[in-house]
Amino acid sequence: MKAKMGESVQLQTRRNKAAKSTLTWYLFLLPTLLGIACFILYPVFESFRLSFYRSNGTIETWIGLGNYQRVLGSSAFWNAVYNTFYIAFFQLLLAIPAGFVLASMINRIKRFQSMFKVLFFLPNVTSIVAAAMIFMFVLQPEVGLINHFLDLLGLPTSPWLSDPSTSKAGVILLAVWHWLGFVIIICLANLQAISPELYEAAEIDGASSLQQWLFITIPNMAGTFAFLFIMGWISGLQRFQEVFVLGGPGGSPSRSMQTVVALIYERGFGGFEFGIASAITVLLFLIILAFTVLNLKLTRLKL
Amino acid sequence: MKRLSTLVAACSLVMLTSCAPQTETENAPSENADLTVAMIGDFKMQDTTDPITGQKATGFHAAKAEFERLHPGVTIEFIMMPWSNYVANTQAMIAGSQADVYQMPGVNDFAAQGLVEPLEPFIEEDDDFDLGVYNDNLVEGWKVFGPDDDTPQIYSLPVLGDGRFIQYDKLLFEQWGVEPLSDYPTVEEVIDKAKQMTGENPVTGEQNYGIYFPGTNDTALTLANLMEGFGGEWGTGQRWEDIELHFDSPEMKQALEAMVELADYMPKSFINGQGNERWLTPSNNIAIGINQGNGNLKTIYAQSLQDRFPIVQNFKNENGVGGMFSGSPLAIGKTSKNKDLAWEFIKFSASEYFQRFLWEEWGSTPVIKQATEWESIQEMELMEPVIEAMSNAVTPRYPWASSQPRYILQAKTEGALTGTMSVEQALEEAQRESMEWIGGR
Repeated sequence: MKAKMGESVQLQTRRNKAAKSTLTWYLFLLPTLLGIACFILYPVFESFRLSFYRSNGTIETWIGLGNYQRVLGSSAFWNAVYNTFYIAFFQLLLAIPAGFVLASMINRIKRFQSMFKVLFFLPNVTSIVAAAMIFMFVLQPEVGLINHFLDLLGLPTSPWLSDPSTSKAGVILLAVWHWLGFVIIICLANLQAISPELYEAAEIDGASSLQQWLFITIPNMAGTFAFLFIMGWISGLQRFQEVFVLGGPGGSPSRSMQTVVALIYERGFGGFEFGIASAITVLLFLIILAFTVLNLKLTRLKL
Repeated sequence: MKRLSTLVAACSLVMLTSCAPQTETENAPSENADLTVAMIGDFKMQDTTDPITGQKATGFHAAKAEFERLHPGVTIEFIMMPWSNYVANTQAMIAGSQADVYQMPGVNDFAAQGLVEPLEPFIEEDDDFDLGVYNDNLVEGWKVFGPDDDTPQIYSLPVLGDGRFIQYDKLLFEQWGVEPLSDYPTVEEVIDKAKQMTGENPVTGEQNYGIYFPGTNDTALTLANLMEGFGGEWGTGQRWEDIELHFDSPEMKQALEAMVELADYMPKSFINGQGNERWLTPSNNIAIGINQGNGNLKTIYAQSLQDRFPIVQNFKNENGVGGMFSGSPLAIGKTSKNKDLAWEFIKFSASEYFQRFLWEEWGSTPVIKQATEWESIQEMELMEPVIEAMSNAVTPRYPWASSQPRYILQAKTEGALTGTMSVEQALEEAQRESMEWIGGR
């Protein structure tokens, strides 16, 4: 009986200690949680609330779903959605395979490996705003670097950012250049984690280098590809800074580069339509959310 | 449960990967200042040296000292904002009551929200102040509607002048054997001369372009000025409920057709605001620049190019009026706790000292009549047409210039300029979408 009582007292003490310890950790987390509440959660809910009002920043009028109706009925919104998906799709389509191939090559070489890692990763640490400003000149139709080289090689030149039909290609070029280093580094980390024993066993079985790459390397990279795919889509759908530098909030020429976030900026700060801008923000959130859930399902990525 | 966790995880990912652009402002407002003034531009508190001209500019510390000398015991502070994102920055500053006085080019939007103080009561009560000190057209040009006004009222007073004009390269005209532009050129004259000077320069053998106008943000404003040159009007009304746009008028059609033709005489990249890198330099390759601003005058003089780049007036209608009214006024924030002192600063901004300081140190065009008598203005011949351009711009300011119709018109104009849509289609869509936007407000 006494023993049982002693045990329950001990259990109670242990529970108290555990609770106290948990409370201590939450206390340490409190500043961060407060920060998240003030600077992330509050603006998110405020933006959601604002999307049901006609608001110029100070004067608010309840209009229910009026903003959503106007946004969904506007060609500028669907054009921005199309541009956003188009640029993100081709960025991923080009950068992930190219980054993986380059990472595989870098992984194979014995010397200068670090130098190549640094070289390829440098663009990624460059500010995208600065990079976009440089690309404005690189892609300049008359005296730009790219057209100069195309001309030297006898290839046809392009108007790049000066024509609605080619401007998105310019943005994709910049996006791939900027993101490639990140893809390479992530792929390299995974490549170096694949057990060498797998390759040794395959070699004994007579598999060629190409077969090893196709049947050992690529299947072992699935998790990394899924991660890059999902993160790439999320950041791709939030694209703003580079298109803002290259084409202004209007995505010049002729809204050909305007992404959804640029449209949010144009409507919010270009014309004081904060209700409309908030409605677009909510719609963008829903688009990204739905798309991310779909991608998680497709890639079976475990978070 | 599994579905819910997937949804929560996706939500977390989306939120955690968000980001926001940042802009820099110089010095944050302090709690100790009696008066805080928010200025926009390249102004600095400390003395600086212009990287192009090598000229030294006295910083705003001098203006601060002068204002504090005139108002003993008062502490004034300046906050300098960059031009980029100034609307967003101003909106954020007003929301946080960060300043008493704001440089406010978009005063119409802020006044409509009831965020700025009407100035007429201050003007009426102040016997020392006379609106006549300002150049003609400026006070009128900055009149806007407050939330409850039936007629435009004074919510701000001019501080920085800006005239839009046409500038050309006299040397290229001589090399091509083309007569210089008239003081009040017509659209036809400019098109004709631009056409003549596009191609291989007969003297230097270099590729020359007949004309240039800045693309991107200014495309719609350039179109509006060309339309005024054909005798048209952007529309009628000043308040959204009264506004009727004429974006698809015959004059607008003529203007856009002219613009499409002019695009053949320009560098391809004009649409991105590029291609004019050599403009106003000794190696210039562009003959005419339309819808130009006055930010480069000091640089022109520093390079001794003032005789090579004369200025003439923008396109005018039959009444001699045309071109966007621009510049910057000062307004008092509704939440200012020191409105009387704020008014004192606005008066100070119209003083000879402050206007001279802005002009002589920072190259900002003066807004007071007296400036024409200053030696520093008289020795710059190019300032004469600039000051004239300020007085014959379209007033009140285009009410659509900082709202959705401007973006719509810009996008459609760019569509016509790049050949993705016809002139008729561009203007018809611009009119329809803009009027739909007004109707849905």
